[in-house]
Amino acid sequence: MSSPALALTVNGRPRPLENVPASERLLDTVRWRLGLKGTKEGCRSGDCGACTVLVDGVSTLSCLTLTHEVGGSTISTIEGMADDPIGRAVQEAFERAGALQCGYCTPGFVVALVGLLRERGRAAPVEELLADLGGNLCRCTGYLSIARAVSLLQKEAP
Amino acid sequence: MASFDLVTPTTEEAAIAELRTGAPGEVAVLAGGTDLMFDLDGAKAAPRRVVSLRRLPWRTADWNGPVLTVGSTLSLRSLERDPEIAKKHPGFFQAIRAVGSVQLRHRATLGGNLGRAAPASDLIPILLALDAEVDLVGPSGSRSLPVDRFVLGARRTALASGELIRSVRFPEPRASTYLWQRVRPANDISQIAVASAYSPSDGRWRLAVGGIPPRALRLPEAEAILRSADPPDAEIRDAADRAARHLVIATDRRASEEYRRHLVGTLLDRAVRSTVAASKGGR
Repeated sequence: MSSPALALTVNGRPRPLENVPASERLLDTVRWRLGLKGTKEGCRSGDCGACTVLVDGVSTLSCLTLTHEVGGSTISTIEGMADDPIGRAVQEAFERAGALQCGYCTPGFVVALVGLLRERGRAAPVEELLADLGGNLCRCTGYLSIARAVSLLQKEAP
Repeated sequence: MASFDLVTPTTEEAAIAELRTGAPGEVAVLAGGTDLMFDLDGAKAAPRRVVSLRRLPWRTADWNGPVLTVGSTLSLRSLERDPEIAKKHPGFFQAIRAVGSVQLRHRATLGGNLGRAAPASDLIPILLALDAEVDLVGPSGSRSLPVDRFVLGARRTALASGELIRSVRFPEPRASTYLWQRVRPANDISQIAVASAYSPSDGRWRLAVGGIPPRALRLPEAEAILRSADPPDAEIRDAADRAARHLVIATDRRASEEYRRHLVGTLLDRAVRSTVAASKGGR
């Protein structure tokens, strides 16, 4: 089976990869090959958003993406969010709002929101941001505190 | 997941040639992959070779006068973020927003949605209402088909062996609306969805319904009841009632027949009114 070498830049570091099968999903590459376990596997079918990572700055379901399809791209995972001003602001807002219960969905929410803010700008209306987070599920149903985190963030938007 | 070879041709000709390298079913076409992934994973006969379209120069959206041509591999999110498309094809914008989630739309494509022809596709009803045409390329050249003749049934299209969807053409801007009902706003399948559009060039309405297997349908009888750009209330109610009464609708695990009939009538009524309001606002 063809598995040419590929290179990813992950959280700012070049990560050359070898012998990645054509069928490998980005989720599995990130978690098992790169050891970045912050990205979670929820449904593995694109329904829950827990596996969200940024591919060239754009939020992507890593469970529905073949790693070879994003060869050469820049990947940001939850582990890289603190290196970025928007990522830091989102993480702080989640912390202040207590926007997590079991925490399993949190990396997906944080990365998805960072992606939205990069795309839409910090001044995007809260209601629209919340609607655009509709692809992320919280099975503890802690949505009110997540919504509070988004509002906090927007109040402090520069 | 079963193993396969992944190839990424860079030209149309090379992509078409790749499709001929195995028997039908052995070769799969990959655009965004958000739906194909389930085949690659599933117990169904898995393809041995996957042809990725990502390097083809088809990620474009171009206007030529009133005609909008959308390349088949452009992401749905790019279309959604294009203000001119949202303004000139509002129903198309609303339908795109109904597909999956932001993360999914960053990879999902218009060509993929059409080619996979899911019975509950959120894009096929509005493509029907906008008289969209599908441009195909294959070993014996190019051809175009209206969406109504391209989508044949659940997961069945008129794509011939070795053919690919290159683009989708929208003939003219139309006041249009797409409405749906489902349990969860994102990442869910519509129990019923309706599309309505009014054509300024021929002065006729287009109505379509989705969410009823095997495929989305135009509603010509209901369309004929609406006789002007701003039809009176009685005509709108009559058109919506007729569609709700006459469609062949079944109960399945997503919704009962009775509830679906109710939705068809209610959503069509609202969609036509919203289209009228949009066309007045746009003048």
